[in-house]
Amino acid sequence: MSAEADSTAHVATRVYKPAMGAGWWTRKRHYFLYMVREFTALPMAAWLLWFLIEIQRSGSVRTFRPGTSTAFVIFSFICLLFALYHSITFLSLAGVIIHAKVLDRPVPPRAIVLTMFGLWFVASIVIGAVLIGFGR
Amino acid sequence: MDFESYDVLVVGGGLAGIRAAIAVVEANPRLKIGMVSKVYPMRSHTVSAEGGAAAVLRPEDSYETHAFDTIKGSDYLADQDVVEAFVREAPIEVIQMEHWGCPWSRDPDGKISARPFGGMTTWRTCFAADKTGFHMLHTVFQTSLKYPQIHRHDEAFVTKLLVDNGRCEGVIAVDMRSGRFEAITAKSVILATGGLGRVYAFTTNGNICTGDGMALAYRAGVGLKDMEMVQFHPTGLPFTGILITEAVRGEGGYLINKDGERFLKRYVPNKMELGPRDIISRAMVTEFEEGRGFEGPHGKFMHLDVRHLGEAVIDRKLPFMRELGREFVGIDIVKDPIPVRPVQHYMMGGVDADISGVTPVPGLYAAGECANVGLNGGNRLGSNSLSECLVFGAAAGRAAAEYSSSAKAVGTNPVAAMLKDETARIEAGYLDKKGGEERIGTIREEMQRDMDAGAGVFRTREGLEKLTKQLGALRERFTNIKIEDSSRTFNTELTAALELDFMLEVADTITYSALAREESRGAHARRDFSERDDAKFLKHTIAFRTDEIAPRLEYRDVRITNFKPQARTY
Amino acid sequence: MADKRITIRAARFDPEKDKAPHLQSYDIPFSDDSMVVLDALNYIKAHVDGSLSYRWSCRMGICGSCGMTVNGTPKLTCSAFLRDYWPRPVTVAPLTNFPVVRDLVVDMEDFMQKLKSVKPWIIRKREMPLGAGEHRQTMDQIDDFRQFSQCINCMLCYAACPVYGLDNKFLGPAAIALARRYNLDSRDQGTKIRLPVLAQADGVWECSFVGECSVVCPKGVDPAKAIQQTKLDTTLRFTLPYGNRE
Repeated sequence: MSAEADSTAHVATRVYKPAMGAGWWTRKRHYFLYMVREFTALPMAAWLLWFLIEIQRSGSVRTFRPGTSTAFVIFSFICLLFALYHSITFLSLAGVIIHAKVLDRPVPPRAIVLTMFGLWFVASIVIGAVLIGFGR
Repeated sequence: MDFESYDVLVVGGGLAGIRAAIAVVEANPRLKIGMVSKVYPMRSHTVSAEGGAAAVLRPEDSYETHAFDTIKGSDYLADQDVVEAFVREAPIEVIQMEHWGCPWSRDPDGKISARPFGGMTTWRTCFAADKTGFHMLHTVFQTSLKYPQIHRHDEAFVTKLLVDNGRCEGVIAVDMRSGRFEAITAKSVILATGGLGRVYAFTTNGNICTGDGMALAYRAGVGLKDMEMVQFHPTGLPFTGILITEAVRGEGGYLINKDGERFLKRYVPNKMELGPRDIISRAMVTEFEEGRGFEGPHGKFMHLDVRHLGEAVIDRKLPFMRELGREFVGIDIVKDPIPVRPVQHYMMGGVDADISGVTPVPGLYAAGECANVGLNGGNRLGSNSLSECLVFGAAAGRAAAEYSSSAKAVGTNPVAAMLKDETARIEAGYLDKKGGEERIGTIREEMQRDMDAGAGVFRTREGLEKLTKQLGALRERFTNIKIEDSSRTFNTELTAALELDFMLEVADTITYSALAREESRGAHARRDFSERDDAKFLKHTIAFRTDEIAPRLEYRDVRITNFKPQARTY
Repeated sequence: MADKRITIRAARFDPEKDKAPHLQSYDIPFSDDSMVVLDALNYIKAHVDGSLSYRWSCRMGICGSCGMTVNGTPKLTCSAFLRDYWPRPVTVAPLTNFPVVRDLVVDMEDFMQKLKSVKPWIIRKREMPLGAGEHRQTMDQIDDFRQFSQCINCMLCYAACPVYGLDNKFLGPAAIALARRYNLDSRDQGTKIRLPVLAQADGVWECSFVGECSVVCPKGVDPAKAIQQTKLDTTLRFTLPYGNRE
């Protein structure tokens, strides 16, 4: 900073710091959708807790039948929608995040996204088969 | 009393200024360097340069050809020893920029590529797509951040040079943020403040190009050299004046008139669209006057056609032009011709400086567009100015470093008095001014319109004499301006007024120098003296400030070494 | 020619007099279809109210000076066309998330600090001598970092980023994109040196991928992409320290 001669300029260098406000995410569609995406963590956590409670209520894991509580089934369905929303938005961005090269040529983003969705599909089948198999 | 004090102070944070600062560090890392700029450095107008930087890098090229092209391009007003030194330094600077990270476009073998450019007999314009100035400025600015010796004063507006006992010892500046007047002392000062396009209404130049450094030096007693040499670039977008780079023609674009004709075959048949800028601008204006220009809501224009180049070439070599066309004119240059007309673009004239940036005032140096070291003479070839900023920015830096390494410290008593006087001058004349009836914007706009009409591509004695009277009247009215902004915090009305004061002053030097040069040479075209007159005018015009409005003009012979002046045809 | 007019509501703030910014309305002629918001501000300053303060220079979207909030969105006022808003009024405010110095002028010092902190210059283990000529580099290698080199430092991305608004210490989109530009440049060998600044909590990890920065960027830099790629890159470097170049 520099020192200066006596100058008649008396100067305020106060700045105005704008406050963000709690409702910032309501003001733009993009921000709102972002908050929905982040919010999906909450119902997922809630679902897990309820799931554990249902198991506990039915006595043991072996005696647990998901159909016994319709409220739980409905809630599970809603959470499935949230989970799908989260997964789809997340995987769609894979092309942006992943920067891959095959034989020195960059892989186009669409190919990466399709691969990710493909892997998701395969993983879902595998996990589903395993769970259903154990269920039997 | 303490003042901020440096060994070298650079005024202006563009390509020449930052290059100079780095050159000082490299010459003597123990020196303390200040850089004062009225804007943050990445806003400097270098950023809008597009086409490229010329340098002899290929084996089939030669220093002699680059020198000859430049000298012929200057219509033989260039000082040939300066040109010969310049062409030898430019390649070194281009390589230095590459080492600092500048993303020069490349040939398939990985070496720096080159494109054809106006007035150049071989391909020697190195480029970074079509945003060369942007990339060069960001490269030097970001590189400068690694040197702790360089201290920046961003958004500080210099109002006066400190000169004591004939020696330049620093500047007085207003810190825009706080409104404080500061004296910044230095053993040497390098002016690198750029051009003065905003004295004209239709210009490629940004708001900040107001000839500040030229006016500062002028008021300190330094002459302004060849001020009548104002470059009009052939291809600016109508209304905005946004630059369409010469590279468009370099890549093969055609200039077409209303009759669908590549009219340049009647003016520069050998070079066609790659002729020098002054000749092409005159050709376009002549075509307009003879009724062969397109008519539009924003004046007459020609078509610049690149459709035949194809989308692939345009996206690789001219992507920014495509963006500008889309954004500002609503066209796709792949499918539509670009409307263009001649626009003020560069100032060959400037602060009288030599090959090392030395001015007649000890301790004061100048580099870049604000200086006239004798490189460009009557007309600058495209892509020489980015190289010019590097070569002469570095040269001035080294010269200032050497000078400062052995110079005496600056005495503070005279500085304190000068600071007090300057503060009083500005407070009385502007900040605390009451009354006044003239709006700054009105005076400025009238000056700009008058300059466009009287000191444009073609000039006449009547037009120039009328202009001197118009400028005189505007100067009178300027004393009666009203200042509506009474705040000290970021007062841009104050800076606008100070800039207008500078502009009126340099506009006079342009006008009087043009009136006195009774010949046509380079960019200075007189309808009443349409031939070049080497017998009388193979000289530089140097304008010195007097107590009256009209400057005192002196003449200095052009330095000829190896290239005798010949007729200039392309 | 009909006399079209348009209302500009500009934020005014003089710290010597005002506690907070307030809007001032100006009714001006909309005389040409090519007019942009910046032209409107210039008209106001030249002919109506000389005390309106704002930054501008190139008016062609390359210097980055004229970023402001226009009707709630960060924009370069030199490329915001009045015809896209007319006949509704246009509200021009300073860039969000920055301290306001005066009227439409914000404090840029935080950004300048962050720019410097990522060491945005070529870092090499050993400098090549100038006499050896240029480093060889292909257009493909330039393509690797070209997009991230287009940043004009206009700070619209910082204005759009709610994370930066909530936590000022966040390194921010432009600074990270610039760091990535150098990390990807084949001539640079400084990725490890930039790592501490990027991989810290206030660095890339503060970003939760809202993505608005890339939406508002006027030069298509896509800083969100740069940040997410840097997250992946720093993670890989941490988990697979030997698998990477240099």
